[in-house]
Amino acid sequence: MTAAAGIPARFLATVGGYAGFTWDCAAATLRHGLRTDATLREAYVIGVRSLPVLVTMAVFVGTNLSIQGHAAFRTLGAHSLVGMFVALAGVREVCPLLAGTMVAAKTGTEICAQLAVMRTKEQIDALEVMAVNPYAELIAPRLLGIVLVMPALTVLTLAAAIASATAVAVWQLDVNPGEFRDYVFDNIRLADVGIAVLKGVLFGAVIATVSGFFGLTSERGPEGVGRATNRAIVAICVVCVMLNYLVTAVAYR
Amino acid sequence: MSVPAVEFAHVSKAFSGRVVLQDVDLRIPAGRTTVIIGPSGAGKSVFLKLLVGLLQPDEGRILVEGEDLTRLDEEGLYRLRRRIGMLFQDGALFDSMTVGENVAFPLRRHTRMREPEIDAAVASVLASVGLPGTQERMPSELSGGMRKRVGLARAIVLDPDIVLFDEPSSGLDPVTSDAIDQLIVEMRERLGKTFIVISHDIVGTFRIADHIAMLHGGRIVARGTPEEIRHSPDPVVRAFLRRNIPLPPLPGEREESP
Ligand SMILES: Nc1ncnc2c1ncn2[C@@H]1O[C@H](COP(=O)(O)OP(=O)(O)O)[C@@H](O)[C@H]1O
Ligand SMILES: [Mg+2]
Repeated sequence: MTAAAGIPARFLATVGGYAGFTWDCAAATLRHGLRTDATLREAYVIGVRSLPVLVTMAVFVGTNLSIQGHAAFRTLGAHSLVGMFVALAGVREVCPLLAGTMVAAKTGTEICAQLAVMRTKEQIDALEVMAVNPYAELIAPRLLGIVLVMPALTVLTLAAAIASATAVAVWQLDVNPGEFRDYVFDNIRLADVGIAVLKGVLFGAVIATVSGFFGLTSERGPEGVGRATNRAIVAICVVCVMLNYLVTAVAYR
Repeated sequence: MSVPAVEFAHVSKAFSGRVVLQDVDLRIPAGRTTVIIGPSGAGKSVFLKLLVGLLQPDEGRILVEGEDLTRLDEEGLYRLRRRIGMLFQDGALFDSMTVGENVAFPLRRHTRMREPEIDAAVASVLASVGLPGTQERMPSELSGGMRKRVGLARAIVLDPDIVLFDEPSSGLDPVTSDAIDQLIVEMRERLGKTFIVISHDIVGTFRIADHIAMLHGGRIVARGTPEEIRHSPDPVVRAFLRRNIPLPPLPGEREESP
């Protein structure tokens, strides 16, 4: 077999392995029960740790949405449409992805590296030998923890981006505040926020399961940990943008 | 003969075509210390992983206290593993937990003991491995020898019938390694359980073993009491005991790739 022929085969094997992994996780969690205390602790830790960097990013994405929207619509003499641009591009598309990729970068890599180190240091084997299911013990609380905080993180990202976009539009670009607000809120209804939250939740599930999969199946040793983390973050980003497209395509038909 | 604690019956295991264990037949008596020695890469760790069901054999049966491990579902396997404690090579302590939490972990997961009882049990088992009052330390602050002691405390806290040791003296200086051997001997006398140790350390093996089995080239090439092994006429055993002499490769054995 040539090297080139091996790549699709390896890709399929990885996808199959991931599917089996998620199935095993679900089955193990049903069999062994969910550790609620650990889940809530994970949710709290993930939320608190991701929030500052997420809000910072959202603020400086919001600023640029206003500037670019303003620049584009000014040439048409319709610069108050900047509010619509912020709502459509920012809220519906950029912010959920931003929340997803930031949580992936912060929490996904952490989960993956932690699990890969545990595998290297035989701690996963130790769990098994102590008759504790690693999926129920390690994966399920992290998965549910992320899924629990993603709605709040997504909404806060939206709020921060809109607030900073408003500030830039009104103070820097002299857009009429009332018009700006009307254009923003005409284009963000509750359903749009709901769809953004749904995206956030789906991204969260992808982050937890993909980083869990690559972490638990990593090769031993420091290189194994690095490689697993690297693969996880790349896979998460690719899967999330594709999911983002799917959800948008279905929801905004 | 009474039921052996562990029995390997014609067990073979290969990884992607590379044979690691071949037709291994071994009965390990209850209530004794059996040491399985062999050079690095002989398949000792694979042997232990088969014994706890972390790996499945390609062929053969593995009986633990008469139960065929290869036929158990997850629930049965987990029930059986609660009667087994294992000390991993570097302790395998959970880095995010204190020493006390590590030792309490099996109690929290598998018993309904309350916090004061757990605290008392943890204190007593830590004292028995020579580390009293270390509950609040983190694993990263411990020396290699201490990590093994904590690992042993965690392995015996549920009072298992069988205790497994993966290379207990590896990675330790000679003094610490002697102390661990001493601890194993003491523990065996105190607990009266089945101890199964895998090791490539010859000196330590003769110090702790009631029985020795030698694994080489995927097979059990010798077994017996320390006396019998010491006086074995088998050239492979003699070469291994003389140490520093590379073992002759067995027919059909492939060299290890670096
Ligand atoms: N999970 C595995 N996958 C593939 N090969 C393995 C695996 N575990 C062990 N091996 C191979 O089996 C052989 C024996 O390994 P091991 O049991 O760790 O030896 P040791 O006697 O030093 O403990 C080694 O060549 C090792 O590469
Ligand atoms: Mg080994």
